[in-house]
Amino acid sequence: MEDEKKDVDRFDWTLAFILFLFLVVSLIAISSAQTHGQYAGNFVIQQVVWYGVGAFIIAVAMLFEPDQYKKLSWILYGFGIFILVFLHFAPESIAEPRNGAKSWFTIPKVGTIQPSEFMKIFLILALSRVISDHHQNYKLKTLKTEFWLLGKLILTTLPPLGMIMLQPDLGTGLVIIAIAAGMMLVSGITWKIIVPVFSVIMSVGAAIILIMIYFPEWVESFIPQYQLARIYSWLDPYSYSSHEGYQLVTSLQAIGSGEIFGKGYMDKEVYVSDRHTDFIFSVIGEEFGFIGASIVICIFFLLIYHLIKVALDANSPFDSYVCAGIIAMTTFHVFQNVGMTIQLLPITGIPLPFISYGGSSLMGNMLAMGIVFSIKFYHKKFMFSTNTED
Amino acid sequence: MKNKKIDNKKKKSHLPTRLNLLFFVVFLLFSGLVLRLGVVQIVQGKEFKRQVEMTDVESVNFSVPRGEMYDNDYTKIVYNVPQKAITYTPPKHPQPKDLLKVAKDLAPYIQMPEEDIKKVRERDLKDIWLLENDNGDELVTKEEKEKYKDKEIYQLKLDRVTEEHTKTIDKNVAAIYGKIYNATALTPTIIKNEGVTDMEYAMISENLGDLPGVDVTTDWQRAYTYDDTFKGILGSVKPGLPEEKVDYYKAKGYSLNDRVGYTYLESYLEDILQGTKTKVRTVTNKQGEVVEQEIVSEGKSGKDVVLTIDMEFQAKVEQIIKEEILNAIPYPNNNYLNKAFAVVLNPKTGEVLSMAGKQYDEKERTWSDFASGTFTAAFEPGSVVKGATVLMGYQDGAIYPGTVLRDEVMFLPGGNTIRSAGRSMGPINDIKALERSSNVYMAKIVYAMAGDTYVPRKSMNWNYLNLVEKMRSYYAQFGLGTTTGIGFDNEAIGVQNDPDNPGKLLYFSFGQFDTYTTLQLAQYVATIANDGYRMKPMLVKEIREPNPEDDELGPIIEEFSPTVLNRVDVKKDWLERVQRGFYQVVNGSQGTARNYFKNVPVTVAGKTGTAESYVWDEKLRKGVKTYNINFVGYAPYDDPEIAFAIVVPNVYNSGGPSLPYNISARIGERVVEAYYETKEEKQNQNNDANGEGQEETEDNENNDANGDTVTDNNEATRQEVEDGE
Repeated sequence: MEDEKKDVDRFDWTLAFILFLFLVVSLIAISSAQTHGQYAGNFVIQQVVWYGVGAFIIAVAMLFEPDQYKKLSWILYGFGIFILVFLHFAPESIAEPRNGAKSWFTIPKVGTIQPSEFMKIFLILALSRVISDHHQNYKLKTLKTEFWLLGKLILTTLPPLGMIMLQPDLGTGLVIIAIAAGMMLVSGITWKIIVPVFSVIMSVGAAIILIMIYFPEWVESFIPQYQLARIYSWLDPYSYSSHEGYQLVTSLQAIGSGEIFGKGYMDKEVYVSDRHTDFIFSVIGEEFGFIGASIVICIFFLLIYHLIKVALDANSPFDSYVCAGIIAMTTFHVFQNVGMTIQLLPITGIPLPFISYGGSSLMGNMLAMGIVFSIKFYHKKFMFSTNTED
Repeated sequence: MKNKKIDNKKKKSHLPTRLNLLFFVVFLLFSGLVLRLGVVQIVQGKEFKRQVEMTDVESVNFSVPRGEMYDNDYTKIVYNVPQKAITYTPPKHPQPKDLLKVAKDLAPYIQMPEEDIKKVRERDLKDIWLLENDNGDELVTKEEKEKYKDKEIYQLKLDRVTEEHTKTIDKNVAAIYGKIYNATALTPTIIKNEGVTDMEYAMISENLGDLPGVDVTTDWQRAYTYDDTFKGILGSVKPGLPEEKVDYYKAKGYSLNDRVGYTYLESYLEDILQGTKTKVRTVTNKQGEVVEQEIVSEGKSGKDVVLTIDMEFQAKVEQIIKEEILNAIPYPNNNYLNKAFAVVLNPKTGEVLSMAGKQYDEKERTWSDFASGTFTAAFEPGSVVKGATVLMGYQDGAIYPGTVLRDEVMFLPGGNTIRSAGRSMGPINDIKALERSSNVYMAKIVYAMAGDTYVPRKSMNWNYLNLVEKMRSYYAQFGLGTTTGIGFDNEAIGVQNDPDNPGKLLYFSFGQFDTYTTLQLAQYVATIANDGYRMKPMLVKEIREPNPEDDELGPIIEEFSPTVLNRVDVKKDWLERVQRGFYQVVNGSQGTARNYFKNVPVTVAGKTGTAESYVWDEKLRKGVKTYNINFVGYAPYDDPEIAFAIVVPNVYNSGGPSLPYNISARIGERVVEAYYETKEEKQNQNNDANGEGQEETEDNENNDANGDTVTDNNEATRQEVEDGE
């Protein structure tokens, strides 16, 4: 009886409530997005099913203690890499390319699975393991050990990043980079290294973008035409007539015309393609206006805040690093996805976590949440002990 | 354990700071999102809302007036007359019910023309009845509705609407509905433009407020100074793009109901005459209602063209043709004669002065214009081509100026004979051969070209397929059997069959094998008159800027200068011999046309020609042999102003008396007469006009008459410059 009560207390109800809010938002948005009559099936029911599966994944994830994840991290990482390599060489009958990218396994009757969604989590675990192991092995921090840690982090990140860019899937690739960057930040590497490295990377990125804008002929041979088109249609969607340019214009019109209060549920007027998946935010922006859209962003912020709290409370540094990785991943997803619908960033095909329709993405995120649940669930036991020790 | 604790502490030392930093970054990023959302939704929200609610449609409004046509002395011959028009501009998504309401509202004000009312079909009335009666729901039972598809149900309803139902429907409403039902969204469409009365115009103007989409405007219609004269070549303008060219015109920005030139000059000069349309930007709201319309670019009227045709002369030529056909028909054996063609060119410039073709329907006693037949219908020319044959003989070295050949009855292997009309002429030279029209002389030129000499019944082992091509290339120098350069797509070049035996080449030499158009024959004789220079026939002399004030012509945009297509490769004295031969035809004591051209004020040179032709008699159900009577000529002989070709096909049939006069030579004579008569009339008019005008004309004439004046002027200028130094 007491144990049961304990279990109930140990369960992260706040996180569960946040996820429930996401479910509600997701169902409202998808149910409205599909009313253009453009799709055959009913995505609302399917999304409910996916959330059900997600709950199951969380339940399974909670069976393992964070320490077990730490032990399993390299195995999972290796497994993820193996799957990505296998996907690369898999015949098209089970890995049919979509939009020119070979990122999905086709499983008869179930649908498609995107291994890179899971690889992100495995990478977070592996990087967390690298950092915590490093700090255990090198008690004395010198510039050399710090460089070595940075090197290890980069080496761990490169294989999955390479495999994903091979697909090619720039969006997920950027997520991988964001995860790595976020974890480098929290890994404790000294500012003396982080500041120069990040500045160099950011200036190179900015330089590339500027060159693409002002001297496209310099880079045309290195960068594929469709990537250039992506940049141009982002900067000037009205005159650059491409699918993405048009998509951006309609998305802006949808969100913009929602104004402060929105047009109301199901009262949208603009047709934006990919509306139930990558452009789900345009539904929220159009129907619920600035207020609705801000609330959704606040829910995400609430999630991040909660994750930070979990990370700060965690008694094992590994747990904190995992949380940081998940924060980096989720933040990048939200910022990139919402940003692209309002012309803050170029369009890349990344879904809005928990809201966009899609099995793989939701499974991956739910797995991440499952680990957080697990951290929180097994946390209190240690907390008592730490408390007593303190 | 202790180690671990220290370890933990150590990490704790950096972790909270870094995590807080991470949180701060997240906070910044999310703030960025909210900030940007605020810009998009609050700052720019109104603009995006406007974008969503309004759709810009660039639509093309009315065509501007079409360019007009003038004849060679600047008389306006094709022009536009304004007429009142009532238009309707449908909304973006027109609903049949709304359109019917517009038609009903409009009906009390206008009466549609009879022909539009006639076009209303029973089916249209049924559609309207169904629209008015709840889609005819009561006509079908519930069971039927479940049983059949929508389309079938509508058909069922249509079948069940009876005349009893539809007889109450106003045909006038139906006619209006038919017009506006077919209108393109947002594009003004004419409902009525013919016979709009002042009353109708005023009534609708007053009630425009109650008639959304309806407007009153000014439209135009083509009008012709000389009625039907030359109308076949002037061409026609019709609303609606021609089906076979829809894509072509749409690519050029025409809309489906635009007026375009359908035939000949109107079509050929479409790009010049059409002008630039007024572009109107139409902004509609979500409901498809027009919110605002503004003119993006003001249109420009089409350009005017000045033709080379002299319409007064043309009218006379057409009249002559009509009269001569009517004169000839009563003669016996002349029941197949029903058309004739005449082309008059300026041999020096290629300007087409007249181009006439008339066809008579004896049963109906009506005339139709067949001017296009002058370049679309080809006939066997007969002896008119002999000038080209003689020049071919010189060019090929077969004969020389003055070569004498014997005119005799020629016996070909296989039993055919060739002889000239009348008795054998004996030994004759080239000029005589033309004067008396010797077939035998021509045939013997071909023998010489084949490197053979005529021996009765000797078999002809010639490479005759090569030779016929060679002959054709000689004739083509004159425009015979090739395009004349007039520029119309459907110009015929005539029939060119492969000969089945060498004998055919002999017939070819006197115009009884290939067929030619009247225009080709005119170009041929013009080339001889113009000392061997073949000129491109010109119908358009100038393109001019349109002038809104009707009295004067606008400034010249482009002036077309005569184009030499080629020069026949012969010596000048060779040409002069043929010209001499042509002179003899009319003026020589034995000339085949010596009885004609007596009444004309100038010396005429020319050549007659008769060719056998077959005409299918529908009643007899067999071909009947008839004759093409042709004439080519030019005048005056020493300084030609005009070159002309007359073709009268199927004149009389064999087996009876022939027409007792040469109808083509007679037409030719009257054409030359008419030309000088017209010229004189114009001079008199100018003289009468006023003193100044007279002087001007004289000056112009001097300049035109000879180039010497120009040279003199140049010299004078040069002199002045020298003096200045």
